[in-house]
Amino acid sequence: MNLAVIGCDFRSAPLALRERLAFPDAKLERALDELIARYDCEAVVVSTCNRVELYLARSLAEQALDAGLVAEFLGEFHGLTAAEIRPHLLERRDSEAVQHLFRVAASLDSMIVGEGQIAGQLKRAYEKARGRSAAGPLLNALFQNAFAAAKRVRHETGIAKGRVSVSSVAVDFVREVFTRFDDKTVLVIGAGKMGGLTLRQLRHLNPREILVTNRSAEKAQSLASECGGTAVPWEQLDDACVRADIVLSTTGAEPTLMPWRRWDGILARRAGGTVVVIDIAIPRDFDPRIHDGDRTCVFNIDDLKNIREKTLAERRKHVAPAEAIVEQEVHRFLKEWTRRRNGPVIARLTQDCDVKRAAIVAQVMSKLNGRLTDDDKRYLEKAFHLMQNQFLHGPISALDEATHEGHGGNLLEALRKLFRLE
Amino acid sequence: MESLLQNITRVCFGASYAVALLLELAQMLNPRPVLRLLGLCFGGAGLVAHTIYLIVRQPTIAAPFGSLLLLAWVVAVFYFYGTLHHRGLAWAVFVLPLALILIGLSYAFTDGGSPEPRWFTGESFWGAIHGILLLLAFVGLSVGGVASVMYLAQARRLKSKALPGSGLRLLSLERLAQMNRRAVTWAFPLLTAGLLVGAILLAQHSDASPGFFSPRVLGTIGLWLAFLVLLYLRYLAHSSNRQLAILTLAAFGLLLVTLATNHPVVPGSRP
Repeated sequence: MNLAVIGCDFRSAPLALRERLAFPDAKLERALDELIARYDCEAVVVSTCNRVELYLARSLAEQALDAGLVAEFLGEFHGLTAAEIRPHLLERRDSEAVQHLFRVAASLDSMIVGEGQIAGQLKRAYEKARGRSAAGPLLNALFQNAFAAAKRVRHETGIAKGRVSVSSVAVDFVREVFTRFDDKTVLVIGAGKMGGLTLRQLRHLNPREILVTNRSAEKAQSLASECGGTAVPWEQLDDACVRADIVLSTTGAEPTLMPWRRWDGILARRAGGTVVVIDIAIPRDFDPRIHDGDRTCVFNIDDLKNIREKTLAERRKHVAPAEAIVEQEVHRFLKEWTRRRNGPVIARLTQDCDVKRAAIVAQVMSKLNGRLTDDDKRYLEKAFHLMQNQFLHGPISALDEATHEGHGGNLLEALRKLFRLE
Repeated sequence: MESLLQNITRVCFGASYAVALLLELAQMLNPRPVLRLLGLCFGGAGLVAHTIYLIVRQPTIAAPFGSLLLLAWVVAVFYFYGTLHHRGLAWAVFVLPLALILIGLSYAFTDGGSPEPRWFTGESFWGAIHGILLLLAFVGLSVGGVASVMYLAQARRLKSKALPGSGLRLLSLERLAQMNRRAVTWAFPLLTAGLLVGAILLAQHSDASPGFFSPRVLGTIGLWLAFLVLLYLRYLAHSSNRQLAILTLAAFGLLLVTLATNHPVVPGSRP
């Protein structure tokens, strides 16, 4: 195997450098074409906000690509010097590279362990490479096996269980309270950017109506038009709360926007049912005492972050079993790849020896013709066969061992030459 | 074959439900599909045995023994359907204990030999209608009771802001409140109609029974009043779902007490 993964991630390189080294779609295709043309190799380029990695494979006969060459390539491509890039590059070879990709695909190497985006990002990177004919036999097999390993990890462990972004956790809470949303009203209090992500998630639930209110009527109108909602005058906040089933509050006003007495008045006007308040404002807009888990459920930023921490702690419990699965899958892949690569040479070697042994046995038999019983002949044939097996056992097992250690290429070449297997 | 079916006892299906419940609890602690499948097999086997028991013994619903076992059977059907329909939710954990309580309560009463009239014989058409209407109303209240327990559990989870999707996985608050509301709303007219038919029948045979002052009649009238209060609180006073759930549970307690009494037409209950 002549495989290398060279690149940087959130641990080895600052965000500013990762941003400059990133490959947007248009650049990515050009980069793949150039890598193939320049180095005559298989290539997959993975570019996400947390990592930029080049998976490069060459035939055994060729020299392995190293971090210096890749730094030069990246420098030329992105208009940086190799010296700026080289100290941040990580380099892994052969079995280590395989293990790295499998861990990345299983989200064990992610900033947030178990996050689900990386598998999709790897798939897109691989598809791009396939689209440019940059992925050959090794990278095709490698990536497909990495996806299968990641799938096993997701299914057999709880590493991807639960959600960790504040907005997703908020929506999870909303789902614990409501089942259908096409009859629900969402009220957004405050038109700042803070609640944008949560509002986007809430919109995916397809609520019946979205109301937006803000001290500045223009800002309320602007956000309402952005999210397909209706602006409500700030003075009608209480009326809007009476109508709302889900409230997303982001103002951070002082004093507290909704003290419990005011909220009590609102509840008295409601026809029943539960209201979910997602209060992501700092300081909090809603008095936490109004939370009773029945008529009003309030989830503030601390609650959402606590859930995120609990989820991450739960996920961490599954890291060890996930690593064990990755280990198994890496081992299986390496074994399979070795068999695929060494198989034809070993078959040729055995076949060659079989032919030569058969010729020698035939010669001996003809010389001793008439002096041997059938049992003697069988014994003689077996003895030659045993000698051939013992003779070949050394080179074949040495080849297997060398391949596992990552330097099987030279030995394979030596075997071809020594035994004239061309 | 017949003697084999005769040998089925309350222990057979009670034990099956208990094992199904234990497997469900084990599945919650250590999620494995095989545990859930085994639990379903035990629950299903219990349901089959329970059904055969009711067909072979034909207990009367006019007596506590029969009404408790028949209600337990309906609850077991509810468990089986719910477990298949709501995979991944802690359905059995809430429904099976109720079936076990009803079966357990039935041990306080014996079959009583030959209580008459048997509801299934069609001896009295209106008597059978009365029994079926009340049974359906009791089923509605039992469903409401189970939904109420689940509602209170879910509300407690939300109050403590537990990790979504962890621990006891339940339907949403909205769905549970809706289940309770529908059960009570459907049960009320059935209970009213059943009571009216019963009142007419009792008036016709007032000389042969303790009539309106038997514990079961008074208990059922008490239930009807509880339903009335529930509906008033829900639709006119807009009470909170938690209050309604607690009241539904109280009504369910009254139902259990009522079921533990004899019907005025059961010979054994006559003074």
